[in-house]
This record gives sequence, C-alpha cells and structure tokens, in this order.
Amino acid sequence: MVKRILAHIRKEFLLLVRDRGGLALLYLMPVALVTIMAVVQDAPFRDFSDNRIQVLFKDLDGSGVGARVREGLMSAGPFSVLDVSADSAMDAAALRDAVRRGEHQVAVIVPQRASEVLKAASAKAIAKVFTQADSSVAPTPSIDTAVVRVIIDPTVKQAFRGLVNSHLAKVLAEITSDRLLNDMGAQIAALTGTEAPQLKLEEPILRLHQELAGAELSGERVAENSTQHNVPAWTIFAMFFIVVLLAGNMVKERSSGIMTRLLTMPGGTGERVAGRMLTYLLVCISQAVLLVLVGMFILPMIGLAPLDLSSASLLGLLLVTICVGAAATAFGVLVGALSSTQQRSAVFGSTAVVILSAIGGIWVPLYIMPEGMKAIGRLSPLNWSMEAFNSVLLRHGSFGELMPYVLPLIAFAGVCLIVAILAETAISRR
Amino acid sequence: MSGAIIRVRGLVKRYGGRTALNGIDLDVQRGEFLGLLGPNGAGKTTLLSIITGVRKATAGTVHVQEHDIVAEPDHVHAMIGLVPQEIALYETLTARENLRYFGSMHGLDKSTITERSDALLERAGLKDRADERIGGWSGGMQRRLNLIAALLHRPDVLFLDEPTVGIDVQSRAATWDLLKEIHAGGTTVVYTSHHMEEAERLCTRVVIVDHGQVVGNIEAPGAEGAARLEETFLRITGKALRDN
Repeated sequence: MVKRILAHIRKEFLLLVRDRGGLALLYLMPVALVTIMAVVQDAPFRDFSDNRIQVLFKDLDGSGVGARVREGLMSAGPFSVLDVSADSAMDAAALRDAVRRGEHQVAVIVPQRASEVLKAASAKAIAKVFTQADSSVAPTPSIDTAVVRVIIDPTVKQAFRGLVNSHLAKVLAEITSDRLLNDMGAQIAALTGTEAPQLKLEEPILRLHQELAGAELSGERVAENSTQHNVPAWTIFAMFFIVVLLAGNMVKERSSGIMTRLLTMPGGTGERVAGRMLTYLLVCISQAVLLVLVGMFILPMIGLAPLDLSSASLLGLLLVTICVGAAATAFGVLVGALSSTQQRSAVFGSTAVVILSAIGGIWVPLYIMPEGMKAIGRLSPLNWSMEAFNSVLLRHGSFGELMPYVLPLIAFAGVCLIVAILAETAISRR
Repeated sequence: MSGAIIRVRGLVKRYGGRTALNGIDLDVQRGEFLGLLGPNGAGKTTLLSIITGVRKATAGTVHVQEHDIVAEPDHVHAMIGLVPQEIALYETLTARENLRYFGSMHGLDKSTITERSDALLERAGLKDRADERIGGWSGGMQRRLNLIAALLHRPDVLFLDEPTVGIDVQSRAATWDLLKEIHAGGTTVVYTSHHMEEAERLCTRVVIVDHGQVVGNIEAPGAEGAARLEETFLRITGKALRDN
C-alpha cells in the first residue's frame, strides 16, 4: 500500500512539474497577488500611522495663536503644513475650492485677531475670578470669539475627519489653557507683589497610554501593516486555489479512461486520494514557504514593511499551514470527485474559492461588513484559516488558542474527504 | 464447477429504466481468444466493465478463477489486465514513466518494471522513443503503449475494448502480431471489436451480443472466413441501423 501511495505521489508530482500553466497558477499568481495587494493596501494601512497628510495653512492672525496652531500641526500628528499665509491669492474661497477639487484634503484658516480675542477672553475669565474674590473690581465687558475654520475634502473617510478635528481641538485647548494659566500667574503676581508663579505643567498629570493586545487582521481590529495582512491572506487564497488544478486532473483521469484502468488494478480510492492529498499538501507548504520568503525579503525591497516572524511560534505556524493545506486539498478532492467535466471543476472551484475568500475576510476585512455578512463570513473555512494565521502571527496565541480555528479546519477536511471518497467510488463504478 | 477461467451467471445491468445487460451467462475457457462482437449499444463494453470490476452489476455474478469480482476484487485484479477503449495514459509523462506508474500499482519493484518495460517496448517497436512524453506520439504508437501497459504484471486474462480503433494499417498489423504472441504465451484474451476480419484472424471463438443478451456463439470463426462471419453476424443481429 505504501509503495502504491508513493507511486501516486511521484506521478502527481511529475504531472505538476510538467504543467507550466499549473505551476504559474500555483506559484507565480500568489506571488503577484501578494505583491500587488500589499502595495495597493499599503496606503490605507498607513492612514493613521506614518503617512503625512498635507494641510493648507492660512494664518490671518499673524500673531501668537496662528504661530502656535501652525507649530501644533507640524510637531505632532500625521500632518505636514503648506503655509499659504503670504499668498494673497489663496483666500478662504480659493482654499475651499482647492480642497473641493481634491488637490488637498485639509485646509486650516486661523482668523484675524485670534490672538487678540484669546487675550481678551483670558483677561475676562481671570478678571471674573478675581471680581468674585474682590467686589471692588468692575465687571468686564463681553467680547468676541475666534473660529478656526477647517475645510475637509468631502470624499475622505469619517475617521479621517475625526482625526483632524480632534488633533486641532487638542492644539486649540492647549493654546487656551496656556494663555489662561499665564494670565492667572501674572494676576497673582500683581496682587501679591511677588514674581509671577510658573503655572504651566511641563508634563501632563493624567496621561494616555495605548497598546495593542495583538491586532486582528480580519476581525474586529486592524492589522499592523499591509504585509502582515496580505502574506497570510494570499497564502490561504493560493492554497485553496489549487482546487482548479487538483480537481481538473481528477476529472481528466476519469474522462481519459485512466480511471477505468486504475479500477482494474489493486488498491482503492483511499490510496489514490491519499497520494493526491500528500502531494498537494506538500505543494501548499511550499507555497506558504515561498510567500513567507517574499514577505520577508522581496516586499521590503519595494518599500513595504517586512513580514515579522520574530515573535511567532514556528511550530504553531507549521501546524496552521498543514491544517489549512489539508482543508484546501480536501476541498479540491471533493470538487474533483463531484465534477463531471474539467470546465465545470475549474469554474465551480475558482468561483467557490473567490466567494469563500471574499466573505471570509481575505479581500475585505470582516470588521467592515454588516453583521449578517460577518456571521456568514465566520462560516467560511478561509476565515478560520485567516484567524488561525493571525493567532500565530499577531496574537502570539498558544496551541490552545489555535484550536478554535484549527479543529474546524481538520473537521472540514475530514468531511470533504469522506464525501469525496464516497462520491468518487459511486461515480466511477456506477 | 465448469473449469472455465471466467464464469458469468445471470448478469443484469440497468441504468435507470434502460436495461444494458439482460441476464447474460458466459464461460470463457483458459487459453481461449474470445471475441465479443455486437452492434453499437449492444452491451459489449458494459459486459467487459462488469467482468473486470470497473462497474457493479444490478444482478448476477462474475467469477475469475473462482474469485468473486465483488467480494475479492484485489485477487481478481492481480490476475487480469484491461486495455480500455480510450488512450488511458498520461500525456505529459514519458512511456517509461507511464509504465513505471502502472507497474507500481501492481506492486512490481523498480528493477522488474524496468526489465519488463524494456522487453515490451522493444516488442511494440517503441523503445527508441521510450523517454519521450507520449503527448506528441501518433495514435498508433499511443495505442500500442496502451496495450503493453496492461501486460507488465503478466496477467492470466487480458481484456481489450476495441484496441485497434482509429489506427493505421501498419499499427493494426503490429497490434495483431503482439496479441497473437501474447495468446500463444498462454494468456486468455477477451476482446470486443466491430471488425469481422480481426475476429476471423485472431479469435478461437466469437460470442455475439445484442440487446444485452448473448445471441450467438461461433466456434473457430477463422474457418468461416470474414465474409461468412459478417453474413452470420447480420443474420443474427439484423440490418436495422443502431444509431444510439
């Protein structure tokens, strides 16, 4: 039996090696897909990280507030400032038009007399405090407010608008609080006759610290970078896409009479299926190795982040690769057993993989889908595969944590194989 | 027990509502060269498929050297060889690679396969091109390889389903010579054909099948001559066209 299985493996291997189109489908297509998709998705993944967003900046104030806003935009956040304050042609209407046309995504206009207004408002607030303390001080008159205008490209995402608003609000709050504290110190100095106390805080007392508890690529959170998402995603896609070749070869064996010959030889369907499974499992593992190497060494050469395996368990990675490969191969065997023509197996197999990958979070992350689609997506074996890879690569999950994804993959492979063996036996001998 | 190497009793095969075989009884004696003749759709290929274990019968039994094809398929498969009507070979493999694969299915070791392959390739006039992929071969060459792929394990019974369809006169003559040689070596041969001349030249007995039943049995057809054989065939099966 072992000899026959080895003979099946040798034959399948020779058929694969001699099929140039098939080899391209197995190896070149996924390399191209990983590279192209990683480049295409690189910008969206960098949206809130190291991509600089150019801001058109118009300072009509010409004093402290304008300078501080400009400094605040430049010193923190994903912004770079294009200062058009000196360009008289770039008035508010021109800025608005430039953003509307999509030439820039954001324009910020600091109004005239903003510094004066802030100064007056601060003085009024301080005076109010001290008026309540000393009834001899006269009440202050009402004053204007200054509005910093932010003009945003209507096509940009809601999250991007929120980022711009929150960053500017933080800068304006800092300017206002600094002014208030400064004026309060001066007022205290005037009343006590001592040197003005330093009220400004060098370091914030209440601080924010954010950390990733292991990002999830296709789940509820967003991946660290494009490479970390695309390498496992397209590895899974490539593994499942072997259905086209595997099922096609099976159908060809039946239609050419080879199956008829094989049915008159010792050894059964189980041995033939085992030979195919092992061959294509090796193909799947080689695909994974190739794409990992592409992620580690090729993608960085075109300016993308390298695939980071430094803290991933290699044993866990191997286990996941074998389980995903087994599920993909078993699916291919099932499609081959149920298809009556090569054309049908190719069309059904490729369409099924594209649909299962689309709903499974390979193409579009699951978290942006509606709830109903998310529920359907979680039924896709490609989603279990994605989550299993994420568990190893990003969440640094233990073997126990891999099981919720790996066990369904093994069960899926088992069911596919049982149905395939029953179907092939029934179809071949009917 | 009749002493027959193949014993078929009450064989019935139905596909849905259509009856392909309708109660066939057939004995094939050791060393016979039996021709199964019949019009298109008579049930010849179905009969061959069931005797070789490719298909399952709806009813009836098949024994090869007293082994039941359903209960002991591996025993039977070790004793028989089948040459299907189609070219049942991998086009992208070489002739040697094809033979090695099919030989391995019978549990032959590499050296035995190499030795037997060389002899058979030589005999079939294919040795010079044995290391070429067979996709580029002529139909006649592929047919000859199709035949010798069923001989590697030296079967006691060789089944052939129209082995000379679509080949030129030279290849057909070479195939006939090879079949005669195999038969002379003691192998029982059962084969289907439409060619009366072929049956007349090769067969020691002809069984005519029509409408899923054995309708004629002709001993020593060579003594009748091809023309007489065809006349007998038409008398038994009629002249109505069989286009299904």
